[in-house]
Amino acid sequence: MSVSFALARSAGRRVLWFLFVGSLIVFMIGPIVWLGLRAFSGLWLYPQLLPKQWTVNGWRQVFNDPNLSHSMKLSFEFAPVVTVASAAICLPAAYAFSRYKFPGRRFLLISLFAVNAFPKIGLYISMAGVFYSLNLMATFLGVVIVQLIGTIVFMTWIPAAAFSAIPRSLEEAARDVGAGPLRVFFRVTFPLAAPAIFVAMILSFLASFDEAQGTFLVGVPKYITMPTEMYTLVLNYPEQVAAVFALLLAVPSVLLMALVRKHVMGGKLAEGFQLR
Amino acid sequence: MSTERRLDGAQQRAEAPASPAPERTDVGLQIEHVSKDLGGRTIVDDMQLEVKAGELTCLLGPSGCGKTTTLRMIGGFLIPDRGRVLIGGNDVTKMSPDKRPTAMVFQNYALWPHMTVFKNVAFGLRLRKLPRQEVSDRVAQVLELVGLTHHVHSYPARISGGEQQRVALARALVLEPKVLLLDEPLSNLDAKLRVRVREDIREIQQRIGITTVFVTHDQDEALSISDRIAVMSGGNVEQYADARSLYREPETTFVASFVGAMNSYEATVVPGGLELPGKLVVPCDDLSATGDGTFEAGVRPEDVHVSLNGDGAPADVVREVPRGHYKEIVLNAGPNEVRAFVSADLPPAEHVRISFTRALLYRDGVLQRSSAPVSV
Amino acid sequence: MRRRELREGAQGLLMVLPPVAVIAVFIGFPVVAAIAYTLGRAGGPNSVVASLGQRQFIVQHGVTLDAYRDVLGNKTIHRDLWATVWVTVLATLVVVVVSWAIALYLRLADTRLARIVSGLSVVPLFIPVVIASYAMLVFYSSDGFMRSVAYHLGWHSFPTLGFTLWCVFLAEVWVNIPFGVLMMSSGLNGVPNNLIEAARDSGASMPRVVRSILLPMNVIPTVIVATFTAIYVLGSFTVPYLTGPTAPNLLGPSMSNFFSAFNQPQQAEVLAIVVFVLALGIGAVYVWANVRTGKRSAVAP
Repeated sequence: MSVSFALARSAGRRVLWFLFVGSLIVFMIGPIVWLGLRAFSGLWLYPQLLPKQWTVNGWRQVFNDPNLSHSMKLSFEFAPVVTVASAAICLPAAYAFSRYKFPGRRFLLISLFAVNAFPKIGLYISMAGVFYSLNLMATFLGVVIVQLIGTIVFMTWIPAAAFSAIPRSLEEAARDVGAGPLRVFFRVTFPLAAPAIFVAMILSFLASFDEAQGTFLVGVPKYITMPTEMYTLVLNYPEQVAAVFALLLAVPSVLLMALVRKHVMGGKLAEGFQLR
Repeated sequence: MSTERRLDGAQQRAEAPASPAPERTDVGLQIEHVSKDLGGRTIVDDMQLEVKAGELTCLLGPSGCGKTTTLRMIGGFLIPDRGRVLIGGNDVTKMSPDKRPTAMVFQNYALWPHMTVFKNVAFGLRLRKLPRQEVSDRVAQVLELVGLTHHVHSYPARISGGEQQRVALARALVLEPKVLLLDEPLSNLDAKLRVRVREDIREIQQRIGITTVFVTHDQDEALSISDRIAVMSGGNVEQYADARSLYREPETTFVASFVGAMNSYEATVVPGGLELPGKLVVPCDDLSATGDGTFEAGVRPEDVHVSLNGDGAPADVVREVPRGHYKEIVLNAGPNEVRAFVSADLPPAEHVRISFTRALLYRDGVLQRSSAPVSV
Repeated sequence: MRRRELREGAQGLLMVLPPVAVIAVFIGFPVVAAIAYTLGRAGGPNSVVASLGQRQFIVQHGVTLDAYRDVLGNKTIHRDLWATVWVTVLATLVVVVVSWAIALYLRLADTRLARIVSGLSVVPLFIPVVIASYAMLVFYSSDGFMRSVAYHLGWHSFPTLGFTLWCVFLAEVWVNIPFGVLMMSSGLNGVPNNLIEAARDSGASMPRVVRSILLPMNVIPTVIVATFTAIYVLGSFTVPYLTGPTAPNLLGPSMSNFFSAFNQPQQAEVLAIVVFVLALGIGAVYVWANVRTGKRSAVAP
């Protein structure tokens, strides 16, 4: 991709451009860096640009607090379960959306998205009624379901776009040399769509990992996950502890996203949002 | 934005002499010692080429020979690392594509999918802020020139490949460029259409007399429409000549093997002919040179004379391939394979005699020439 | 042939059934129930919530719009509604413009700096929203980075943006930029180089290429970014809850307030439906745009 033409030739425009880029960089990563500093700061008074003292007290406090470490453990239990469940439910659907013609196909594809336009808080309030009547309140399954419904859209859309991008002739060629439909799927279709499926699964993992309000509503008091705990922390703990906890909560996201960074930047995520 | 400065493509070109030298009308395009490195590799290496005004030149060569890179430097999409590009005597080496009097027809046409045929062609005229009426007149004219009168208000996706090709040509011609550039313009068409469109292109080019550079890897295409052909290899021109001399007297073994079919052998000149490996002496009427030591000898299949009996070296027929009005036969003459084009009337036989009517002798890949044709 | 189509159709329906069923039971049904509840029907799945709520408008037969009247007549809600609309419009605009700029920069000048900028602009995708909101709050708080730097530059009265709508706006932009950049880049990378070169060849300057070629060819991604960002901001809770002021704030936190602080679930649901209707209106634009260009480029070369 190189159509290299000078974008801004005049010096004045160039200065403006560098100002734009500079402030963009500060805007995008400044808050994260600043938060990182907080996590190790002792005494830090306005308007100092760096803390006066450095300390790991915040970290000690987080790891010694049984509530906090328990919530970390819980988060790591829910996220994989939700991801696998979501994949099991949605991947066949994604395949069907991309390969089969059936009545209401487009309507269903769009409704998946439409129901997600309903604000979560309002949804959780009225969902509570359903959960009560199904005895799902304060159960593991209940929390899984409430986290799962947030993952369905991209777990369907992104793989569906990836399946659609695979030429049918590749599948037909495999059928031609004698492979059965299942073998064709696992040997041809799946490997080709794997990067997009992987992206969708990581996004699903993180969505579950980050979900707070629904989990709080359904899981309380038994299941308090990290992000739910975060709300309490922000309001009730010293800033430093919250910063430490925030960093900890960000670690798995950063690691997982780094894993699929190439595919996400390569457009796997973007492709999922064009209706076909 | 520089459109204000120019009202019309043609006018702008006339009043924008980049160098004080008087405009030479006989020279369309000059490429002077141009080199270009891309990604650490030298793609075009000290290349020279001159195209006369109104001439159609083909850049012919295998992929990776630098022909497209050269074309892109003429069009301004790449700036040469060294050397100069001149159009009508004016240095345009560093001029951006929107400012130079060239127009390109891209390999896959590059029609803008969101504009109709009309809008695609009119785009450049509208940039020049021409009156509406003039725009539509000129678009209609140029569409007629390329033979496209239907589908004027269709989107490119709705018309056939051949029609898209014509739109691309019209879009390039409508600005009345000084140099028309075509980058493998026929590679996306099927075989039959390809022949027809290339003839159309040639006819249009001659009718408006525009200097044209045509890039292709198809020798047939190059031989049939060009005034001159520059055969390129390794970022440089191997030979620049018209179709006939290119075929009859390829200056290098590369050109000899790339253009047309050629039998080639390691040979020494002996009285009466050539001695090929296996101590086989083949009579030859016409050698390009004489001398001691070994040459690389090139013999066109049509210069192999095959007879059922009589003089000549013995050869065995391996197979015959009918080619319509003639046939190709593959022979074994000692350890050497010989291909020959012969009359379709020649009766089938197992053993024949061969001689060469003409052979080209090369040393270090370069054609060896005696001042006068040598008869032995 | 016909039978095969039928079989495929049936198989397809069967395969999409699981997620559709989950959505229908756990979203569709509650949404319908919520709509019934806001219209005064307290039976069925609403009975638990209704038995605890206060200031409800319930009817046994027919429907009533009293709950809507109550909420929409509320002056505080008016202010929240305006705050929501303004933050949504502003954030959407800024996200579209900035992500266009970044994607364009990357498309036209594939330099190392361009790649760094676009790499940094997707950082928020890696950060959970809770953390992001908290980080933004700390960054713009009274002892935050912005104020500290401004102080050292001699601007001692730099405003504290934390806990204001400005902070909400900035945080929403921050959270939505990655999606915007990814969509726009993907769209712009889909425009072949030779279409740009052909325009240059016809005499177009770079700004003109952007206007006449890149912009019209990138309408769909732009619409997608605008609609998804707007819908996200409209319904967002975490960002305004953590970074915004007590009042007026966006409708997300006020829904939560009606539910937990005032114990008025019906009013909370009314707000949810107001937001839902706004979001659906925006979503319709997205669907319309997709369908429209889907038709024209069905046989793109």
